[in-house]
Amino acid sequence: MNQFSLVDCTTVDGALSQLNDSSVVKAAGVDLLDRMKNGTATPSRLVNIRNIAELRGIHPSPQGVTIGALTTLTEISEHPLIRSEYTILSDACGSVATPHIRNMATLGGNLLQQLQCWYFRSEEFQCLRKGKEICFAFEGLNQYHAIMDYGSCPSVAPSSSAVALLGLNASVELSSAGRGKRMVAIKDLYVHPDANPTKFNVVEPDELLTAVVIPRPAKGTRSAYQKYGEKQSNDWAIADAGVVLEMDGNVCRKAAIVMGAASPVVRHSAEAEAVLAGKPISEETARAAGKAAMQGGPLQTAMQGAQPLSMNAYKVQLFPVAIYRTILLAAGQMGRDPSAAG
Amino acid sequence: MATTKVPISTDVVSDVVAEAIPAGMEMVMMPVGIPGYTLRQEQRTIPATEPPVLPINADLKFIGRSPERWDGHAKVSGQARYTADVQLPGMLYAKFANSNVPHAKVVAVDTSAAEKVPGVKGVFVIENLLGSAKLLNPALDVSKYPIIRYAGQPIAAVAATSPQIAEDAARRIKIQYEARPFVVAMEQARQADAPMVFPGPANEEGTAGGGGGAADVPQTGNIHGPSVNTHGDVEQGFKEADVVVESHYTTQVQVHNALESHGVVADWKPGLLTVWASTQGTASVREGLAGFFRLPKSQVRVITEFMGGGFGAKFGPGNPGVVAAALSKQTGLPVRLMLDRKEEQLSVGNRPSSDQTLKIGARKDGTLTAVQLVSYGTAGCGTGAGCAGPATNMYQYDSLRTEENDVFTNAGPGTAFRAPGHPQGAFALEQTIDELAERLKMDPLDLRDKIDRNSARRVERQVIRESAIWKTRNAKPNVDSGHIKRGVGVAQGVWYRNISMDSAAEVRVHQDGSVEVLSAVQDIGGGIKTVMAQILSEQFGVPPQQVSVKIGDTNYPVGPNSGGSVTTASLTPAVRDAAWQAAQKFLAGVAPALGATPEDLVLVDGEVRSRSGKMAPITFRRAAAKMNTSEVSAQARRIPDYDRKAYETYGGVDVAEIEVDVEVGLIRVKRILAAHDCGRPMNPQQTKSQINGGVIQGMSYALYEDRLLDPNYGLMVNPNLDRYQIAGSREIPQIEVHLVQSYIGQSSTDASGIGEPGGIIATPAAIANAFYNATGVRMRSLPMTPAAVLTALAHSQQKKETA
Amino acid sequence: MSEAKLPADQKDPAADPLHSDRDHPVENKAAKGMTRRGFLKGAGVTAAGTALLEGAQVFSREALAATRGEVSGVKEYGPGPVQVSLQVNGKEQNVLIEPRSTLADALRLDLGLTGTKVVCDRGACSACTVLLDNVPINSCMTLAMDAVGHRVTTIEGLAKDGEMHPVQAAFVKHDALQCGFCTPGMVMTCSALLEKNPKPTEEDVRTAIAGNLCRCGTYPKIFAATLEVAGVSSPEVTPKA
Repeated sequence: MNQFSLVDCTTVDGALSQLNDSSVVKAAGVDLLDRMKNGTATPSRLVNIRNIAELRGIHPSPQGVTIGALTTLTEISEHPLIRSEYTILSDACGSVATPHIRNMATLGGNLLQQLQCWYFRSEEFQCLRKGKEICFAFEGLNQYHAIMDYGSCPSVAPSSSAVALLGLNASVELSSAGRGKRMVAIKDLYVHPDANPTKFNVVEPDELLTAVVIPRPAKGTRSAYQKYGEKQSNDWAIADAGVVLEMDGNVCRKAAIVMGAASPVVRHSAEAEAVLAGKPISEETARAAGKAAMQGGPLQTAMQGAQPLSMNAYKVQLFPVAIYRTILLAAGQMGRDPSAAG
Repeated sequence: MATTKVPISTDVVSDVVAEAIPAGMEMVMMPVGIPGYTLRQEQRTIPATEPPVLPINADLKFIGRSPERWDGHAKVSGQARYTADVQLPGMLYAKFANSNVPHAKVVAVDTSAAEKVPGVKGVFVIENLLGSAKLLNPALDVSKYPIIRYAGQPIAAVAATSPQIAEDAARRIKIQYEARPFVVAMEQARQADAPMVFPGPANEEGTAGGGGGAADVPQTGNIHGPSVNTHGDVEQGFKEADVVVESHYTTQVQVHNALESHGVVADWKPGLLTVWASTQGTASVREGLAGFFRLPKSQVRVITEFMGGGFGAKFGPGNPGVVAAALSKQTGLPVRLMLDRKEEQLSVGNRPSSDQTLKIGARKDGTLTAVQLVSYGTAGCGTGAGCAGPATNMYQYDSLRTEENDVFTNAGPGTAFRAPGHPQGAFALEQTIDELAERLKMDPLDLRDKIDRNSARRVERQVIRESAIWKTRNAKPNVDSGHIKRGVGVAQGVWYRNISMDSAAEVRVHQDGSVEVLSAVQDIGGGIKTVMAQILSEQFGVPPQQVSVKIGDTNYPVGPNSGGSVTTASLTPAVRDAAWQAAQKFLAGVAPALGATPEDLVLVDGEVRSRSGKMAPITFRRAAAKMNTSEVSAQARRIPDYDRKAYETYGGVDVAEIEVDVEVGLIRVKRILAAHDCGRPMNPQQTKSQINGGVIQGMSYALYEDRLLDPNYGLMVNPNLDRYQIAGSREIPQIEVHLVQSYIGQSSTDASGIGEPGGIIATPAAIANAFYNATGVRMRSLPMTPAAVLTALAHSQQKKETA
Repeated sequence: MSEAKLPADQKDPAADPLHSDRDHPVENKAAKGMTRRGFLKGAGVTAAGTALLEGAQVFSREALAATRGEVSGVKEYGPGPVQVSLQVNGKEQNVLIEPRSTLADALRLDLGLTGTKVVCDRGACSACTVLLDNVPINSCMTLAMDAVGHRVTTIEGLAKDGEMHPVQAAFVKHDALQCGFCTPGMVMTCSALLEKNPKPTEEDVRTAIAGNLCRCGTYPKIFAATLEVAGVSSPEVTPKA
């Protein structure tokens, strides 16, 4: 790691006063230290928000729940209310990396972590997302890369909590010294590489992600998240699925089906959701939804449907399975999948 | 115990003894075989100075039992000091600057900016690189600096007052390259027009762990080989076969990834270079450094108190050892150089890949008429990718032909890795035998009974045959209809009895009744310290935890390099001999005070007893107080095995039960039963620990691990423990180890090693055979990731549909 | 089989490989002319309250609170060495570290507590596990300055009054270790699990150590040792005689 100075902050206002075009915010530092140790990030000054007590905590309200940005993934995954009412989020936070990382990593940090593409993480490869011209994955090793809607960069959305929060229709609270607070829906938080390859999210340099606000789910809502890896201890998702079902008895009024490891930006599958809407949940409908998820969806590029790269056609088989099993899990028709990771 | 020894006068030739017993030798009867199956007494002619023959474990008090690991307390408390933990006054921290291109000539190395960094005390540029193959004719590629043949190759290093400053400074070393065409994929490197990794014949020597390529073989392009081995006439053999099975198998590169990285702390003082090294061989490091710096070995001291794993990759000083010593010499200060994880992944060894075409012919009764293997493998810019061991040594056959080829690529050099070549070879061989059994409509264990003459494996197969797990196996593959398919598969391994004669120990007995044992041997995790203590316990009756075990220091008598599973087999007889001799000296020393003759005294179960009964027994401790000197000691070195004509290979048989989720391509290993032999198990608990380790490492190799090099840039994309996948806690199956005691009558302890035969050879193949049993589809390539499994299943489905 | 080439933008091999941001003076602003080693001799393993270096920045959150009104709760430290006080195994200890020092660095290099191991240095193996306020974390991915104000427990602090922690004793009994390099991290994680969940299942143990990597393959015996301490019998993992 290069040398840097550390700006210790104990208040949000204090931290906001330190933000500018060149500032780099550190919460737990799990993602940032990884990049600094790899030599791909070399900030000379870190604004340390880790010790701002007011940014930590889970606050239920009649409208839903607000989670401070510095709340750890363990705190979220083990919280009784999150487990019962926002199961998808508890599942997602509980599946991240390792128990120790979850004890350290914050919700804000998990949402704003940078790409996990190995070319991006490597010091030697100066890629598109680092402001250069080339993406190395297309002609290189891409077994873990995107299969949908990737355009110029097939890195996949790395944040599991974002999958859950998109399914829950959540928003983040962004604060700045000059402009106060604004709310941004999770669906608008991330920037697709085709829109701007070096801007990963809409958070401006003078802004701090201070909280996540989740609306209260409609009555009868059931949800779940599962991820699949090459191994079950500590692995990144090769496929994952977040499912939120608004149920009326066994009939699904409305569904949210979300994928992370399919595309550069966490995405809904409108096709899968349409398959379930108004229908009873069964293995048949769940499988149909999984299959449909490999079609179109809301697009940020001109790519229709799954278009695997040279080494990841298997993911086109895997995602429909992840989705159908997670639908059945959410609906209570199947237990947690013993093949799932995390 | 002494009664089992039958001294025979050397000038009498009896009818029983066919040959005259040479002077100084005696004939003894030793337990040989497997208790419960084949145990018997066999005759051996051994030096008269050898201690009494040990009975089988059931009749011993300390040897063959499982007292707790001697240094367990130090390891669980954080007190164990590894090389990475050594801190010396004024010590500097060194850091390499490494190549970030796979093939180039280094034109210039500019260290001036690095030297200016405050805190930097020394800079060293490598001119003599260790650890990769060398051109037989160096004149073919003249260069001031070593040619870069792989990304991650060390070029220079700095030593500074902190690790952070060293890292900052290493990044400021400017290297000017003249780039060369490169190749990292083996299939491409085999092509006639491929870029040449070496401009002429090259070879890498093996280490104490094995590896290395065949000398005196042709080299064409990047292909070093073939190294050919023949027995009988395979063409004739195939003609005589009723069934011929031929298939093609590939395996990936696996990186050792011992948790402690390679590294040393070097302290160069006038007249003595002291080096703390994370090594499998204090002797190999001493020899390497003395040779490199032209120092007398007496002026090089190597210390390895604790070491955090090696698995075959840690012999000799390597580049870290040489560079740290050079920097210490240059600065006059101790220098620590430990590799980081990325360097560990790139530059200090790996298990080579393989590409094998294996063809076996058999008669209807199962006997093998011909075995033919053609293999290619890449050890990067090293050699040693041969994998014909199992095909050559496991079964009986009429004829054999093997051709092994090393293929050079621009990748980090391979090196010995736990049973070099054998997991690869067994993966192909044991699936082929499984296929053959199916074609012959024979049970896979029955077929092996027919073609495998090894007596221990015969018993091990019987253990498997009678096991609950095997009884649940459905002989018909692919019978489960849901998305979870269960399968059971079996495979075997083969390993060899290797002995290092550089195995010596000293045993000291003190007047206060304390005993100590000293040897330069290192404990790499196998637990040799515990076993050494047990041997002294058996001799002196002192509990193992009260025995002082001092090892890992070349100031002590030379110890074996821990490679080839030699440590226990080689060192324990020397320890026992030294303990026995020290005990005899001790008895001689206390006899006068006890009013006895030494000949009348024996030291048994912690007591000094009189054979004639003239004297009441007295405890060892009380007797020690009567010693006529403050200390007696004896040093013994390994003597050759008693009867090498009686050698067999040894091995093991593993059975795996797996579940395949055919929709997500995930293989979950549920249970492994591993039946293994290693001569006399000295400490069954530690032996089982090592077999657990081999099984888990084998499973991890079969399912997850893969060194991935970007084909376009030649750089490793997963040089970490995040993307280099290793089995973790949730992958671990239920493992049952069945240890077969197999006495072989070869030494005063009759022990053999277990590091290599245990698990890593047979487990990957057993999992592959279980996969076939579960799905009816063969996995002929490793690792068996979800991507590979889904692809193989889809491919097989397609074939069925078109058929 | 392409020409050897550097990934984009490193095409000039002679170019300075360093990002310009890296060109910070490594020299220590706070105490010019003294080497880091010099500092360490003074501040290293000495007891609390000693070896304050003249001119070195001292990290204190109390000072920060006192001046909050004026500087709005922020203070910048480094990049040179800063004096911080860490509470390790029940003792307050002063160390002089750069802000970039990780907790693992401070423990191993500055306090001589080398039981904590660094293996992957990225949070993927948990050999560096220590407890921060009784919660297991990766000390390699935690800045030492972030441990200020928290209780740090390392493997050296687990035994009480010279008695091994029951998890340590059970590890030895079951031979749940081989080379021993993962062992401190494993022991820390398993002891923390039992604090939080005194009656775990085997699955709970597997989940708790899912980030602790062992290369020798000690897992089955770690499951058995931990469950035995909890008084939970698990025939599945008990080694057969």
